[in-house]
Amino acid sequence: MSETPAAKPPEEPKGPGLCGQFLKDHGIATNRLPDSCGVETIEIDGAHLEAAMKLLRGSSEIKLDYLVAVSGVDSADTFDSVYQLWSYTNNNELIIKVRVKKTDVVEGQLPLVPSLSRFWSAANWHERETYDLVGIRYYGHPYLRRILNVWDWDGHPLRRDYKQLVDSLNDKAPGSFR
Amino acid sequence: MATDTEVDLTPRLKTDEMLINMGPQHPATHGVLRLILTLDGEIVRHTEPILGHLHRAQEWQGQNRTWFQYQALIDRVDYLSGMFTSWAMARAAEVVDGCEVPERAEYLRVMVSEMNRITSHLLWLGTYLIDLGAMFGFPFYPFREREKLLELFEEIAGQRMMFNYIRIGGVMRNPKDAWLSKLKKFTEEFPDRVDEYEAIVTENPIFLKRTKGIGILRKELGMDYGITGPSIRASGVNIDLRRTKPYSVYPKLKFDVPVNDRDGDTFDRYIFRIREMRQSNEIIKQCLDMLPQGEISGKKQIAGLRVKAGEGFAAVESPRGTLGCYIISNGSDRAYRIKWRNPSFCNLSILPELLKNHPIADVMAIFGSIDVILPDVDR
Repeated sequence: MSETPAAKPPEEPKGPGLCGQFLKDHGIATNRLPDSCGVETIEIDGAHLEAAMKLLRGSSEIKLDYLVAVSGVDSADTFDSVYQLWSYTNNNELIIKVRVKKTDVVEGQLPLVPSLSRFWSAANWHERETYDLVGIRYYGHPYLRRILNVWDWDGHPLRRDYKQLVDSLNDKAPGSFR
Repeated sequence: MATDTEVDLTPRLKTDEMLINMGPQHPATHGVLRLILTLDGEIVRHTEPILGHLHRAQEWQGQNRTWFQYQALIDRVDYLSGMFTSWAMARAAEVVDGCEVPERAEYLRVMVSEMNRITSHLLWLGTYLIDLGAMFGFPFYPFREREKLLELFEEIAGQRMMFNYIRIGGVMRNPKDAWLSKLKKFTEEFPDRVDEYEAIVTENPIFLKRTKGIGILRKELGMDYGITGPSIRASGVNIDLRRTKPYSVYPKLKFDVPVNDRDGDTFDRYIFRIREMRQSNEIIKQCLDMLPQGEISGKKQIAGLRVKAGEGFAAVESPRGTLGCYIISNGSDRAYRIKWRNPSFCNLSILPELLKNHPIADVMAIFGSIDVILPDVDR
């Protein structure tokens, strides 16, 4: 499973979308990515994530107050933390990606992305799940602990380089995780 | 000077909080869930849910099985509403792939999904009454109707619960005329059956005492936690993807989405599921009348099924809420990354808030009312 997503065809440059423009007006720089199936997709620097989310959630015209999901993706040369945002009241949609380059990750440590769970309860379990399965450390999370795997599981199963120990579930095997 | 009867003894009694472990093998947790409860006397002060006892690595399997193999597997994500998990992935794959779905297939999808919504709510109704201690045989009433629908499922998909009926691009099999007329007969008698359940439950004084005014879900809190489905509609948030983000042929169908006008309690969540079942029945009736002729699949169902490169997110309104699927495809015969957004997982995260300051006897009444399916939580 080492193949990576096929290169996308180069698309013509376009201006920021509704939400990108809104964030630009409030002084937060974003990078527009190709729309995923018609939904505006932006890339944002991790340092601005929390401020941007507060703006998008609080503003009366955008009002992206429904955090649908937080997904972690182990892409070719980055770790992505992907946020699906919807609204309970209008039809706005947005996908935000925070990318951490694999070359920036310190050897033996996990990629760092700021946590949203301090001001958005929905993010709490999603971030725990992403930490558990993809191995993205959300700093500032109140209780970043494995949620689906057992607490002493070794490694992060949805990483591309994850190797499960053969027979790791057998208590008698020498390489067992227990 | 105070007499003996006026002396308040409580400050002298030293009380301590106590940790109680509930589950994982608890008959009322609908699967395997462990709750660590911190009790002050009989009052729950803090809850920590421990998940993952049913973790089957569904997302990992999605990356390591071909699309065709994985389709058969995903009914197991939520075994009570397998049609919806199949549909969520089929929709996500279709928006990424851009393939057309024939209209007949869309009608059939709506029809079987609404049937599945009814079976899911019926099972919830039966088991919820058991959770509340009604062991006297009420569960057999909803199970009687559920059985009829399961027989219809068996006839059309070959399976009673793990259907693998909705496929990427369409559906698997055309129903026979006899099947349609059996379904029509069911829809005609079903409203009377719902009246029967209501006659037993809705004004039952014991049921009301156990459910009225407990586990109140505030609207703002629910939105903060990303709660969806009947649980949040019973608290007055109008979010039903069939209406707010219409998909398939739902715009052509007439039905109401019942929404509460206040913060809902456990009883409201019950009554809104009952109303939803009646609406689902109406939808099936209309689909039976409007079902067009034609193809049932826009994509060849072969083992080498491929989805074009791209990424996309699609969701359907499952009996428990927004069931979403996020797909990244690189054009090969399997997904590069597949991520599930399960309504049970998100709805369960609010449980500690709902249980706070309720007696331990209400734990299962509240937990049951948010209708969580543990395989859907753990995947």
